[in-house]
Amino acid sequence: MKKGIIFIISAILLLGTLAGCSGEESAQAEKTKDGKVVVDFWTFWGSETRRPIIEKIIEDFNQSQDEVFVKHTYLPWGDIWTKNLASVAAGNPADVIINDINSVAQRAENEQVEDLSNYMDDSFKDQFYPHLWETVMYEDKPYAVPFNTDTRLLFYNKDAFKEAGLDPENPPATWAELEEYAEKLDIKDGSRYERVGFYPLWGSIGAASWMTSADGGKGFIKDGELYINTPEKKEALEWLLGWKERLGEKNVQSFEAEFGSEQSNPFIAGKVAMWIDVGTFYTQIRDYGKDMNFGVAPIPAYEEGSGNWSDGGGFVAEVPKGAKHPEEAMKFIEYLTGPEAQKYWAMENYDNVANIEAAEAAVEELQGDDKYVYEAAVKNLEQTQLFPVPVEYPDYQSRINPHIDNVLLGKTTPEKALKEAEKDVEKLKRK
Amino acid sequence: MKSYDTTIARRGTDIAGEKEKKKTAGKRLSRQTRENIFGYLFISPWIIGFLGLTLGPLLFSLFASFTDYNITSKMNFIGLDNFKRMFTIDDLFKTSLWNTLYYVLFSVPLTTAGAIFLSVLLNQKIKGMKFFRTLYYLPAILSGVAVYFLWMQLLSPSTGLVNTFLGWFGIEGPAWLFDPEWTKPALLLMKMWSVGGGMLLYLASLQGVSSSMYEAAELDGAGAMQKFFYITLPMISPIIFFDVLTSTIGSFQIFQEAYVMTENGSGGPGNSLLFYNLHMWNNAFEVFDMGYASAMAWLLFIVVMILTVINMKLGKKWVHYEGGDNK
Repeated sequence: MKKGIIFIISAILLLGTLAGCSGEESAQAEKTKDGKVVVDFWTFWGSETRRPIIEKIIEDFNQSQDEVFVKHTYLPWGDIWTKNLASVAAGNPADVIINDINSVAQRAENEQVEDLSNYMDDSFKDQFYPHLWETVMYEDKPYAVPFNTDTRLLFYNKDAFKEAGLDPENPPATWAELEEYAEKLDIKDGSRYERVGFYPLWGSIGAASWMTSADGGKGFIKDGELYINTPEKKEALEWLLGWKERLGEKNVQSFEAEFGSEQSNPFIAGKVAMWIDVGTFYTQIRDYGKDMNFGVAPIPAYEEGSGNWSDGGGFVAEVPKGAKHPEEAMKFIEYLTGPEAQKYWAMENYDNVANIEAAEAAVEELQGDDKYVYEAAVKNLEQTQLFPVPVEYPDYQSRINPHIDNVLLGKTTPEKALKEAEKDVEKLKRK
Repeated sequence: MKSYDTTIARRGTDIAGEKEKKKTAGKRLSRQTRENIFGYLFISPWIIGFLGLTLGPLLFSLFASFTDYNITSKMNFIGLDNFKRMFTIDDLFKTSLWNTLYYVLFSVPLTTAGAIFLSVLLNQKIKGMKFFRTLYYLPAILSGVAVYFLWMQLLSPSTGLVNTFLGWFGIEGPAWLFDPEWTKPALLLMKMWSVGGGMLLYLASLQGVSSSMYEAAELDGAGAMQKFFYITLPMISPIIFFDVLTSTIGSFQIFQEAYVMTENGSGGPGNSLLFYNLHMWNNAFEVFDMGYASAMAWLLFIVVMILTVINMKLGKKWVHYEGGDNK
């Protein structure tokens, strides 16, 4: 009797394990009941704000189709690309995925994405901002289609400007003016700051962007050449150190540690008078700023005429290598990056979209502050650069950043750090 | 002792076996074979899991470590190049190894001593002890990302509880996670807070130490310290050994803390929290250098293996097994 029970339990365990190994695989249907091809679309847009927007776009597309049916699969931000990688390696990937705009070439080189040149004509690319289209090209072939992007603007508190005797319609345009304004906007109580006018490393900007701006818009790597250890970049680092010295390390740290978002964002809370952030930061001001009186302007230039450079990022839609229905997938991508869907996306969450016509239509249709900020953000794209990761220097930032950290922590000089950084990146070079 | 137990057990099976025979007399496998089959059947879930999910990938990664495998498009044999690269080209390799060694070197002794200390305190016979035991064990059940976020707040330079507390004594606390000199101590502090798990192990073994030994020692005039060092410590040394061994291995694998508590999982200010596994992860999934990452994994395996063997050898000198002859 006992043995019988033991045997049954073992058998169940064994079967359970076997079933676990073989299950699921075939469950993914390739066609709907009415014969439409199913396109599996992976995104990381699961939030309350984004999910309904993307699902509306998908629904609109599905209703217009009698051959293709798009199925949305949401994967969390932390998982989506490792999962994609694994599924490409296993030969069973999604049909369309949203991926990072700055690493398309890297994925193309490693054969993780499909070449899309056969599915589009020459004029297709004209719909998109050229600086975005450049990022999807690898060896003269497109491997993705740009979806959205961002750009950085200077947000400033007009009430604080008035209080400090500054003209609220005349924001700082150069680094020198920025310093001058910032000092006037500071409010100090003894050695403690109640309000900081500006600090260049807060908000959505880092040392690298200032260095690029000082260097006439040249990043660390251009056309395979390194421009890390340049006099202009060194000067930018020294300038950044100057800010830290003026405010005091402790003040900077204690301010930084309290940074939060929404109501507790230091700009919205009135603790910092000028703040650089992406265009969509406006939605936080709108929703939590209680009719805050603010203005936006391009990031101040290194000197007059040297360019109000901004960094950008963004996402693309692409077809993972080995996807079963690239043609149908491309049909959906065309819609997703076309004027209609892109305008909807822009109107709903203020992202800069990749489609020029859609961006301009959104500017037309928006009203009030919505329009004011969005128009500025669209205009700012002219001076926005993307820095795609060069294939020869993957992961180069991880070699430069620690050196910059050490400069800002006062552990080394800008001169030494940049020399070392350039040496470290040289070592990284792939043949 | 031992042989007596086994006889009983055998006799038990014999009886069961005879009953079976009577019921189904005929062609049957020998008892030995049947027992073996059942044995394997019982461990089959593990065997299947091990062969399919562990051994295969393990061997594959060993092979990959000698190639330029990038997951999707290439896998060319490049000999020992990956290993050469660690020591000649990749500067972050050294940084990450150093960070990890630093962490292991401090975290293992500190958490072990902390757990023993705590368990001795919690082994006193006073009122309300159950409450304190629960209290100190609590952090051990709260684990993972939530705890890291909690600590990021506690360690906040100007408003965090830790620095506020230090401020009461006129001490100006460091910037913790923002200052490369203090990031690793900050992690150690966090680890010390959750020694409750180890404490539980020690507490259990402390309660197994026979009180007659303490009584005998007291009769001979031993003080509290002498009792602790000559009775308590040797008696719980197998558990200490087990704890040191497993926590050394675990500490080498530190990853989550750095991944969650640094901006974009980058390794913190000045790469001060770039631990070995984080660097490996970045290589594998950020730049798709899976071959190199596999080589790193195997190197870590070798390092940990050597340390474990040394630990085992040293263990024989100081670990006391009750009833055994220490071999």
